[in-house]
Amino acid sequence: MALMRKLKEKLKTIINKGKKARISLKQPVRKQDVCKTVPAQEGVLGYQETAVGTTKFSHPEPPRFKRTMHHELPTGYGQDKIILQVRDPWWLHSYWEVTQGTWERLKQELQDTFCRVKKVIRVYDVSQISFNGRNAHRYFDIEVHPEASNWYIDTAGPGRTWCVDYGLRLPNGEFITIVRSNTVMTPLDGPSCITDEEWMIPEEMFAKLYGMGFGLGQSSPVGKAWQERVKKALFSGVLASPGITSVSSPVRGVPKGRTFWLVVDCELIVYGATEPDAKLTVQGKSIKLRRDGTFTLRFALPDGKQVIPVKAVSADNEEERSITPTVTRETKIG
Amino acid sequence: MHKGYLCIVLHSHLPYVRHPEHEDFLEEDWLYEAITETYIPLIGMFERLISERVDFRLTMSLTPTLVSMLADPLLQERYLKHINKLIELAHKEIERTAWQSHFQSLAIMYLNQFYKARETFERYHRNLALAFKDFQDAGRLEIVTCGATHGYFPLLDVCRESVRAQVKVAVSHYEGVFGRKPRGIWLPECGYHPGQDEILKECGIRYFFTDSHGVLHGTPRPKYGVFAPVYCKGTGVASFARDLESSKQVWSSIEGYPGDYNYREFYRDIGFDLEYEYIKPYIHPDGIRINTGIKYYRITGTSNHKDPYAPDWAREKAAEHAGNFMFNRQQQINYLYGIMQKKPLIVSPYDTELYGHWWYEGPMWLEFLIRKIAFDQNEIRLITPSEYLVENPRNQVITPSLSSWGWKGYSEMWLQGSNDWIYRHLHAGCLRMTELAKTFPEATGILKRALNQALRELLLAESSDWAFIMGTGTHTGYAVQRTKDHLLRFLRLYEDIKANSIDEEWLAQIEYKDAIFPAIDYRVHT
Repeated sequence: MALMRKLKEKLKTIINKGKKARISLKQPVRKQDVCKTVPAQEGVLGYQETAVGTTKFSHPEPPRFKRTMHHELPTGYGQDKIILQVRDPWWLHSYWEVTQGTWERLKQELQDTFCRVKKVIRVYDVSQISFNGRNAHRYFDIEVHPEASNWYIDTAGPGRTWCVDYGLRLPNGEFITIVRSNTVMTPLDGPSCITDEEWMIPEEMFAKLYGMGFGLGQSSPVGKAWQERVKKALFSGVLASPGITSVSSPVRGVPKGRTFWLVVDCELIVYGATEPDAKLTVQGKSIKLRRDGTFTLRFALPDGKQVIPVKAVSADNEEERSITPTVTRETKIG
Repeated sequence: MHKGYLCIVLHSHLPYVRHPEHEDFLEEDWLYEAITETYIPLIGMFERLISERVDFRLTMSLTPTLVSMLADPLLQERYLKHINKLIELAHKEIERTAWQSHFQSLAIMYLNQFYKARETFERYHRNLALAFKDFQDAGRLEIVTCGATHGYFPLLDVCRESVRAQVKVAVSHYEGVFGRKPRGIWLPECGYHPGQDEILKECGIRYFFTDSHGVLHGTPRPKYGVFAPVYCKGTGVASFARDLESSKQVWSSIEGYPGDYNYREFYRDIGFDLEYEYIKPYIHPDGIRINTGIKYYRITGTSNHKDPYAPDWAREKAAEHAGNFMFNRQQQINYLYGIMQKKPLIVSPYDTELYGHWWYEGPMWLEFLIRKIAFDQNEIRLITPSEYLVENPRNQVITPSLSSWGWKGYSEMWLQGSNDWIYRHLHAGCLRMTELAKTFPEATGILKRALNQALRELLLAESSDWAFIMGTGTHTGYAVQRTKDHLLRFLRLYEDIKANSIDEEWLAQIEYKDAIFPAIDYRVHT
């Protein structure tokens, strides 16, 4: 029940956070800092799914001739445009294109000032309003790299609606919008604080169901280790991402530490020839000859002694020849 | 009297990989492996359960790309070639392991499995989608559809025309194959974006699935958590949320079953283990070692040392794990029934290719589970979402939350440094496709062919698999190439169509290469 109490407390803090709808204006994070390529960290929701998912595509790549493409994808589509999309409850991604013509026009309008402007994205919180450019609840600016054409934006604001402008900030502080994005809404990072009268539910019961929905089962006797982990994940960080760390994962990761190794195995090839129409047995088992009367057998050779009687009988059953090699394998390790 | 429901959902998907222009194409093996190791064992399970009159229900998605590949004569021909080579290899293995009886018995096991695969494949006239259709027609399986090419909908939200096209193409493809309309959909990557249920409603789809937080973080708060579906506000399309506890028992590496030491080790394959000259005819023609599917070891433990696989032990474990899973669901259902005062529904979705391919004993486990539920208890009832809604039509109305079942639960898997460049092009393509569809509402002849092909190329570029592979960071070349190829073909078609100068010869070439959805109608992209 201590668990339930903790859950309830956690729920309350989330709900209160939602009610206050505070948005901390974190320092913008440069794109380079945030976009790492290899995502599959253990201990995060979806890690196992990702790991198993990759086994569906589990082949190495053969070297293929680099095909000469008639052309590469265009760098732009000749339209001033900015698009905003949601990555998760906290982060947005935006990309934009500003055509050469527009830059020329701005250069002309701003004259000398143009070389002193900063390229900026202005992020507006437009939750529950019809945004007209001036009525945002608040906004913050991120100065972006002059060459950048996309950016990840840390809003720290789940459950809010956002719109961004890409534009120029003049030395006097004035902001000129070049393009304005679509609006998007970040999802909540916890349960909604809105309940519906008809389907009301006591807080305590919801906490139980909520925990169970995330696999914090009351019922699973094998799930102790899991519960402990989820509890940690739940109370130390993000509610939406309870995950597990791999202890004995069948997903073979990159081996850590020293990785030098050696594998040795032996196989034995037994081959020979007789009259093409003869009957041949090896260790009593009849063997099909090739058209020219030759044969090849290949055996995995375990440690120990193998006696291999090879017997050929002529087609008319009149003659017989036997040859019996004996092979011993002894493996020493060290 | 049962006290609750269990809805097992298997999501079956592979991206469209078909290269008639090459004699042998490595990535086509994804399909062949899944056929031998996953789909055929599952078909065997369905056949046994149905012929023995075991009462059960399962829900499966079969994505339009997968169904298209299963129905494709070229790939069918190539699969036969593939399985025949495996049969030949298994024969050689039986001979080679004559002095190692343990391995020899495993080689015989594989040979039998390969023979069975070939026999099943031939029996369904080489088209395994028809097997699943039979099981659906027998009332045991509910097949749901998916996005036409498994585009990730939340990141296509700025061009809903493409989401609409993904759904509409999928729905008409489903009708053509399964002879009725799909009732439900598996949203690709379980990715839901609020408002997209409008498109589902428009297409006659009554339900979809979300991850747990899709419903738990919906507004208003869902009264029954994930243990009852909700209706989307405004559309009434039902949303069924995943129960993570039951998912973790299969997925998790701690309490998850597939990591058991008695189960077969996925990573020890004779394609890598055996002497090069011997195995060469069965690996990639360029001599690159690949998995053959013949694997002789069990997981054994955490070290690199592996003991030989013992099928009997693995079978016993699978039975034990099925019993454990059922027991846990009984406990869960009893507990929930107590607090909800209503029969809870537990939704357990899995990636189909987890079963058999990754977790070799998975199909066996599933069959044990289904039999135990049918014969050993009376608290849990297996159900499909459609049946649940008929029995429980009154459900809460909420707006589910943006979510996916991918890494971290949202869109980051498909939107990160390695793959974010694609959206600029996909979205531009989408705008242009809409423009084309509006400009030419009644095209005929070669223009119509070009427009249809343009939509095929755009849809193929949208497959989430390419972004996923780029996101994992390994062997990304093919995924990048596919994205670019389809986008470039689309762009050229767009320009040719606009300039009224369609190159018929080139069009025929790409129709031959990207031959998916023969009955596609470009006008759905509006």
